[in-house]
Amino acid sequence: MDFTLTADQEALRGTIVKFSRECLNGDMIVRDREQAFSRDRWKACGTMGLQGLPVPESLGGGGFDPLTTAIALDAFGYGCTDNGLVFSVCAHLLSCVVPMWRFGSEEQQAKFLPGLCDGTLVGVHAITEPDSGSDSFAMRTKAARDGEGWRINGTKTFISNGPEADVIIVFALTDAAKGYHGGVTAFLLENGTPGFTASRKIEKMGLRTSPFGELSFDDVWVPERAIVGALGGGSAIFTHAMDWERTCLFAAHVGQMERILERGVYYARTRKQFGKSISKFQGVSHKLADFKVQLEAARLLTYRAATKLDKTRGVALDASMAKLFVSESLVRGALDVLQIFAGYGYATEYEIEREVRDAIGSRIYSGTSDMQRNTIAAWMGL
Amino acid sequence: MSEPIAATVKAYILDAFLPGADAAELTDDTPLISEGILDSLATVRLVTFLEEHYNIEVAAYEANADNLDSITLIANLVRAKLPV
Repeated sequence: MDFTLTADQEALRGTIVKFSRECLNGDMIVRDREQAFSRDRWKACGTMGLQGLPVPESLGGGGFDPLTTAIALDAFGYGCTDNGLVFSVCAHLLSCVVPMWRFGSEEQQAKFLPGLCDGTLVGVHAITEPDSGSDSFAMRTKAARDGEGWRINGTKTFISNGPEADVIIVFALTDAAKGYHGGVTAFLLENGTPGFTASRKIEKMGLRTSPFGELSFDDVWVPERAIVGALGGGSAIFTHAMDWERTCLFAAHVGQMERILERGVYYARTRKQFGKSISKFQGVSHKLADFKVQLEAARLLTYRAATKLDKTRGVALDASMAKLFVSESLVRGALDVLQIFAGYGYATEYEIEREVRDAIGSRIYSGTSDMQRNTIAAWMGL
Repeated sequence: MSEPIAATVKAYILDAFLPGADAAELTDDTPLISEGILDSLATVRLVTFLEEHYNIEVAAYEANADNLDSITLIANLVRAKLPV
């Protein structure tokens, strides 16, 4: 497979990298320390089209194919040092916007997609609960029929963008006996719906500029038309969102890997110890060589998965492999570069330690590395 | 069993999810979901197989117990989607 970028893809990549460097990267140390989500930067990303990349232009998006979407997010991850902002945009796009595009009704799409794509609205995907993380379909949030609609009760936690949510896709049990197989339904609601609250912000180790928290649903009533897709169709919507997230969010991480590697190479070439550049010590150069191999392999795995996103449900295996490899490589590479920077890597002002803190979460969200290994093994018939 | 769709589906399930199992123990009416043969990952694999092998599309709301809980039900789903 030849992933040489077309002229249009090169131009798109260049535009996004330039925009990111010029508009998004200021005051990172302070914003990270203060866990400051920047709505202005979010809106700027919307103006660039990042929140709607693959959505058809008729619905307010960019109309890009999945591979070009991955290339664009790779560029975003490379150019933008605000990894939390990159994560928030990707979570919004891949687990809220894409499901609404692929499964939403015409009414839902017309009402919400333009604002979700242009940066006006922040979208959220609410499935995880205090007692159901990896085992996401062991959820307790329930939706019971009530007149011409449904009444939702429960709590969701570790919700990316939760504290800033304008539009929420929430997964609830509509038939506990069926569970995964037709018992979970996705509902769409807006912030301000009576009974809904973004109840608690959660502080975290990394991606600190990406809002994160709990959502409470206390007798929230929604009409029948709030169902996304169909009654009982929640598992397919979740699976589809995860295919996109494991592919395209991790494309952004490939870009992040490239940026971290470049910093490592520059530092190794310019830092002198014992009378010579530390790049001449194999203990240093071999780490960077390994990181380079992992970067290129990560990009190939991710781009290959992206080409299958709109072609086959079997992309689930490619997406899992890409996610596992990219996340593990990102963490390992970031730690190696921190080691190369030594004391400077450990100090906040050089912004390497933040890359490590931001990278760690990638082994957890979108399904942990352990769950990805389970998925890959299952596809192999093990 | 002479019905070809059911036979194909049975062969796939045995190969993919029940390696080494006695084929005679898997009947057309064995409840695949409640007996744990089709968990979430197996369901995705099965639906992928049906879509690619028969060139059909299984909608999000169709991947449920009503359509997938036995070989008979799966064969009915496939048959309903094939051109007449």
